[in-house]
Amino acid sequence: MDDMIVQTDQLSKTFKQTQALCDVSFSVRQGEVIAILGPNGAGKTTAISLILGLLKPTKGSVHIFGQDPRYIRVRERLGVMMQEVRMMDGLTANELLQLFRMYYPQPLALTEMIKLTGLSEADLKTKVEKLSGGQRRRVNFAVCLAGNPDFIILDEPTTGMDTTSRAMFWKTIHCLADQGKTILFSTHYLQEADNAANRIILLDRGRKIADGAAADIKQTLSKQYVSFRIHRKLEKAKLDIPDILSVEERDQRICLETKDTDALVSYIIQHIPDAYDLQIDKGSMDDVFKSLVQRSHADG
Amino acid sequence: MDKFMYQCIAEIKRAIRNPYYVFWSLFVPVCFYFIFTKVFTFNESAEDQALWAAHYLMSMTTFSVMGSSLMTLGIRMVQDKQQGFTKFLKVMPLPESIYLISQMLGQSIIHIFSIAVIFLAGVLINDVSLRAVEWMSSGLWVLLGSAVFLALGTLVGTMNKVETASGVSNILYLGMALLGGMWMPLNVMPSFLQDVAKWLPSYHYANGPWEIIRGNWPEWQNVLLLVAYTGLFMVLSIYIRRKQEVV
Repeated sequence: MDDMIVQTDQLSKTFKQTQALCDVSFSVRQGEVIAILGPNGAGKTTAISLILGLLKPTKGSVHIFGQDPRYIRVRERLGVMMQEVRMMDGLTANELLQLFRMYYPQPLALTEMIKLTGLSEADLKTKVEKLSGGQRRRVNFAVCLAGNPDFIILDEPTTGMDTTSRAMFWKTIHCLADQGKTILFSTHYLQEADNAANRIILLDRGRKIADGAAADIKQTLSKQYVSFRIHRKLEKAKLDIPDILSVEERDQRICLETKDTDALVSYIIQHIPDAYDLQIDKGSMDDVFKSLVQRSHADG
Repeated sequence: MDKFMYQCIAEIKRAIRNPYYVFWSLFVPVCFYFIFTKVFTFNESAEDQALWAAHYLMSMTTFSVMGSSLMTLGIRMVQDKQQGFTKFLKVMPLPESIYLISQMLGQSIIHIFSIAVIFLAGVLINDVSLRAVEWMSSGLWVLLGSAVFLALGTLVGTMNKVETASGVSNILYLGMALLGGMWMPLNVMPSFLQDVAKWLPSYHYANGPWEIIRGNWPEWQNVLLLVAYTGLFMVLSIYIRRKQEVV
């Protein structure tokens, strides 16, 4: 298919005895912004290294633009930012960016690279080895955009960025997505995945445990609770409330899990008149994440 | 082709801006040259002194170029590997071979510069006068012969830590310079050390121009050993690299 950017088929990688990635298949269409989400050690970097052709899969295959990712023609349309890369020392940031532009057939204008990454005039004149961690990230991001890539791959892009650079970075990513670029990034922050991506692939212990629109994943998994206190002893079994997923007693509160908090609240008011101190809790994003990961552990 | 040219230019800039290069490959050889031909002189006759001035000039030129060949490329390779750049380069549309070749070529252009600076120092300090063909052929010998040390550098480049690589390069560099007779003439050293020197690439490298300034051709053993060592280092470094890639 024409708009297929990446296609992986049962991608697996074993290092000595450890299975870093196991049967991961997915495809990416043009224009998608995809987050590979997972806790540390889930196999995110391994997955990205395999997609980029930096590692040889133990099993399975990967294609970018329908070709082997190691082809020069593929790399010319690719923009990559990896963790912890130090560029050629002895050159200024400006010289480095100019040099990298030369590698590509249709490079991005230098002014555009500077605008998108927020590099300052002073940064540009600084030698690469003298840049701070944050500045270095920006230079690496600028290098990633040097070829005006169709497909951008970022491995944990915001690690080591402060809050301002992080916000600026995601703004740029949105802007690039609006231009129709396809973006794949890894992160272990659910918040980031949810804000920036329109699709999330969840990895845990090298396996793909969920794949779908960010909103759907959140919807199906986010837990919502209504809790209340009551003076009398309430027997769980006797609670006859429709549409509740679980009942728990916590800190002298009755905690009900539901998908529809509004309906549940009105039901409680009508049917349990002596209930007081009602509270509605929406599970935080990180709870969703944890529950997904836990669920996959239970299954496995 | 453009990629290649710009990469070479970038490599030249990197090399020239490296303070170690300026110190070890320009400052130290010129200083040594001044000290051992001007400050301390052991020669009675003016004729011996003139020969010594030319001989030691060649010692210092070979010392300089051997040093930058050995100390730059290999350590840079280890550094790139350690800092993730080698891996990053694989996702760039720049073939690794172009990166490596432009480093070597950029280095060679730097060598031409080093040779010119040190030769000029010889003329200015001691009025060294050689025939044009002698200047040219010794310069060319120094330039081409440095291949053996670049090859040795790529062997050092297979190491995993910058600290080890630079330690090993330093020992090789200073050891070979001393034992190869670049710092003091071989005939003042004990005979067993002279025997060792006959097997070192540094001695055969420096002996070429030593012969040239005496109006001779370099000895055939010089050429033979340099070529053999270059081949050996290259084969070893390719072999080790292959083995590392398998993992």
